[in-house]
Amino acid sequence: MKKILLPFLIYLGFISESSLVQAFLPHQNSMEWQIIPHFSMVMILFVAMYLNTTYGLIYGLGFGLLTDLLYTDIIGVYLFSMAATAYVTSIFSRYLFGNLIVTLLLSIVGVTILEFFVYGLNSLIGISNQMIDLFLYKRLVPTLIINGLFAILIYYPFVKQLNQLKDTLKEN
Amino acid sequence: MPHFFSNKRLIILLVSIIILVALIGFSMKKRESLTLPEQFLKDSAGLTQTIFYKPANTIAGFFENLAEMKQLYKENQMLKARLDEYAKLYVQFEEVKKTNETLKAQLDKKEDLTDFKVREATVIGRSPDQWNQFIYINKGEKDGIKPKMAVISPQGFIGKVTNVSLFQSTVQLISDNDRANRFSAIVQGEKNIFGTIEGYDPKRQALLFKKIEVDAKIKKGQKVITSGLGDVFPPNLLIGEVIEIEPDEVGLTQTAYLKPSANLYDLNHVMVLEREMPAVNESLKEKEEE
Repeated sequence: MKKILLPFLIYLGFISESSLVQAFLPHQNSMEWQIIPHFSMVMILFVAMYLNTTYGLIYGLGFGLLTDLLYTDIIGVYLFSMAATAYVTSIFSRYLFGNLIVTLLLSIVGVTILEFFVYGLNSLIGISNQMIDLFLYKRLVPTLIINGLFAILIYYPFVKQLNQLKDTLKEN
Repeated sequence: MPHFFSNKRLIILLVSIIILVALIGFSMKKRESLTLPEQFLKDSAGLTQTIFYKPANTIAGFFENLAEMKQLYKENQMLKARLDEYAKLYVQFEEVKKTNETLKAQLDKKEDLTDFKVREATVIGRSPDQWNQFIYINKGEKDGIKPKMAVISPQGFIGKVTNVSLFQSTVQLISDNDRANRFSAIVQGEKNIFGTIEGYDPKRQALLFKKIEVDAKIKKGQKVITSGLGDVFPPNLLIGEVIEIEPDEVGLTQTAYLKPSANLYDLNHVMVLEREMPAVNESLKEKEEE
């Protein structure tokens, strides 16, 4: 895979979040669940685990800033949370062997960290007034399931591409 | 993890927390217009969103059709019953409209505060984390959209335009919990009862209608509309229906819970309203600037 293709792929995931929420929200609301896709975050976690920490951190900062500018009103919340999540996850992944189960687990842990960061910061500013029990049952659990499924779906093709990219980076 | 918190990393962490707080503080104050790079980013993202939303909507529409087929018979019967009522109301409406026109002609009044220009727009995306309740529409500065314009769906009032770039704009829904997202409204009835809409209660899935006088008597099911005070939104836009009333924590005012009349989760086509008659304050401001 060429180096330039990677940010483009993550950008596709990033834009599809907004479109999917807009298209499927009427259905999930009848079930009273809040399913939040964090596709770009999951892909950045893969980059942090399989490429290297620096790339994960840079993409986390970049797409965090993009999320802040495009999808929210306040700059800084996602910028900080996504970069920190990518960094922490890549530290964990150094001590674990990379296979499907471990990657899935780390993605879920990463999305959980992100959700808690954003929930905490937004509660601090006063944007969210959801109670912690509602947050855990109605938001966190369905969100983790959807993002876990997404991680399984992209695991084989995406990791293959990332490994190829890593080899080309080593050669240079 | 031997060097997880070495000195250098600790300093970087502290510095980034300071930057975070500074950024949040900077962006929390309300800005009237976006900076140029922000506009460029929003426009290019809007372009890709326009490509994406169509296939996504088609897939979602298929599932919706399946669900709707079950309720079709029931709905048909209900609509038939409504049809008779409609004919009666229509005759009444025509009559009232005619008297209104003749009265206006007598008064020689041509412009009205309630006149507004309507622009239709399509929703191309939504803020994916549901802390922020924003939708994005495919009309922008090029089409004459300006910040603070009211946005409605066919069922009722849904929000206001917060910022505009060249080809797309952001709409803040009334269910957003932002502190600046407040506006005055009235309960329809024999006497107008005033209050302000202040945010959303996710547990009851209802809007909070606060600062109502203690002795005001409100019944369940009464309709709440925008007041038109404050010179921002046009008056008489339907917001919702009262479902519950309770006294405030201190007991000086009352709080009502409103069920929004528009389905805030299912928005595809919306209308942006512009007041035809310039508000008094704006013309005053312009004079001051001159």
